[in-house]
Amino acid sequence: MTVLTTQQRRSAPPAAPAPGARRRPWASRGHLIAAAMLTLAFVSPIYLTIVNAFKSQSQILGNPVAPPAPPTMANLTDALARPDRIVQIGLANSAVTVIASLLLIVPLGAAFSFWLTGRSARLRRIVLAVFGAGLMIPPAVVLLPTIRILTFLHLDHSYPGLVLANVGGGYLSFAVFVYSGFLRAVPTEIVEAASMDGAGSLRIWWKIVMPLLRPATATVTIFLSLWIWNDFMNPQFILGPLKGQTITTGLYQSLGQYSTNYAQLFGVMFLAAVIPVAGYLALQKQFIAGLTSGATK
Amino acid sequence: MTTRARRRRGDPALGAIAAVALGLYALFIIVPVIMSAWKSFTDENPLMAQAKFVGLANYREMTHDSTLAASLGFTLALAAGVTVVANAAGIGFAVLLNKTSLSFRMMRTVAFLPQVLSGVIVGFVWRYIMAEDGILNHLLTGLGIISRPISWLGTPDLAMFSVGVVAAWVLTGFTTVVHLAALQSIPLEMYQAARVDGAGRWQQFRHITFRMLAPGTTISVTISLITMLKLYDIIAALTGGGPAFATQSTALYIINLAFTDDRFGYASAVAMLLLVVSAVIALSVTSLLRRREVDL
Repeated sequence: MTVLTTQQRRSAPPAAPAPGARRRPWASRGHLIAAAMLTLAFVSPIYLTIVNAFKSQSQILGNPVAPPAPPTMANLTDALARPDRIVQIGLANSAVTVIASLLLIVPLGAAFSFWLTGRSARLRRIVLAVFGAGLMIPPAVVLLPTIRILTFLHLDHSYPGLVLANVGGGYLSFAVFVYSGFLRAVPTEIVEAASMDGAGSLRIWWKIVMPLLRPATATVTIFLSLWIWNDFMNPQFILGPLKGQTITTGLYQSLGQYSTNYAQLFGVMFLAAVIPVAGYLALQKQFIAGLTSGATK
Repeated sequence: MTTRARRRRGDPALGAIAAVALGLYALFIIVPVIMSAWKSFTDENPLMAQAKFVGLANYREMTHDSTLAASLGFTLALAAGVTVVANAAGIGFAVLLNKTSLSFRMMRTVAFLPQVLSGVIVGFVWRYIMAEDGILNHLLTGLGIISRPISWLGTPDLAMFSVGVVAAWVLTGFTTVVHLAALQSIPLEMYQAARVDGAGRWQQFRHITFRMLAPGTTISVTISLITMLKLYDIIAALTGGGPAFATQSTALYIINLAFTDDRFGYASAVAMLLLVVSAVIALSVTSLLRRREVDL
């Protein structure tokens, strides 16, 4: 129990006021206006995607920056009414790919990292260095042999093949890194006490270690969901052009057809972006906490 | 520690799961790298029945492949330029947004949004903005800054610059958040002491903020470089590598060699080159920045 409270305290440092917080009010209002204007300029491309998804082609061409007045849902309903159902199929395929990949990566990454804590320091260092390479290797370098291996396993152009390549590729490296970092903070006494009581390592891992690793699991789940959902290269070449597609590859294909129909283009883009963006906005606290705990470790 | 290690080594169940994890990693990272290395010495081509061992022929070809030189030059320039710009912008943005009131917290949330979008969406949104009849040109001609539309994506030099702008836009979301986190760890007393000593705001930034940000900057710069060296999706959607292959990154060149030209052997050799270049850059920059953290 004490462990948890110290961890909580560590993960939520007292918010430090900005340097020079006690400046004159006009200066701080100027700061606010400058920050707001810069932030708005920075995210203006996202604003364009949103407003133009709700405008007709002539409204877009007439004034792309204006808010949708009156807003139209036609782009979204048109995108969803396509006979090839590219949006619905893409969203479903992406969801299945993300969930299946995570259901494998999370237990494998956590169990592997826990197993690693019992190894010698030297072996741990070597293994972590080898897994670190997985984060650095450009996907284009391993793509061709990966497809060959999947062909050999009769899993090329299939979702199981894509999931397997996701699990074994750089994503597992990321999970192992996050879990290994968090495991350093788990005191060995807890594990030792349980093993004195005669619990097997698998039981200790599942009943004691996994609950302690919940913040790490949140970080791994959030980041990998986003990356696998947004991934383009693996689905494009492992699934190939004909066997259905994820939302990202489906988007890429349909955009070729829509190069001049901006209304349709923005409708499809909005539908493709809305799930990850909503997920980020809902979980942004955990998102940023995961990012910064990973970055400062 | 030793009892724990011995006990766990004796228990096969956890070891079996660990073996599966290690096996999958080996199968999809280690084996492919070894296969790429091996294929780089062959003339493998899916249209031919049998690949032959060709020794160093692929590597010799690389030395006089001007397309490769151009793609590598573009990739390295992009990685260097975008890393500098995105991290400078990230530090500036982080300092500007480093307040805890609700409006600033909302701005921070929003500043990360470009990172949440897929590279394909980012590429297409900017393709629309930067098109010859796009918003950027309308805006600039409307303000009287330019007299006629500029072909941002249609002329080779400008297209390379445009890809850099878009990539820097995405990465700035990330560098801002990392530097914001690092800012929180700077003790306020340092600023108070500096003010007592009469340091101005620029001096406070240079001698305290910038130095104390160093660990965050190390992470942020390393990840920026790695991301840029593998960049594929944004370019595929924004320019497709054009015009005239001006924005073809090395990752894009490898994909085109393999899937358009069917030259698996040569694509593998270029892949090996990209791997070595990425490793050398990532490792040397990280150790350089780590040393800087100590020196500062």
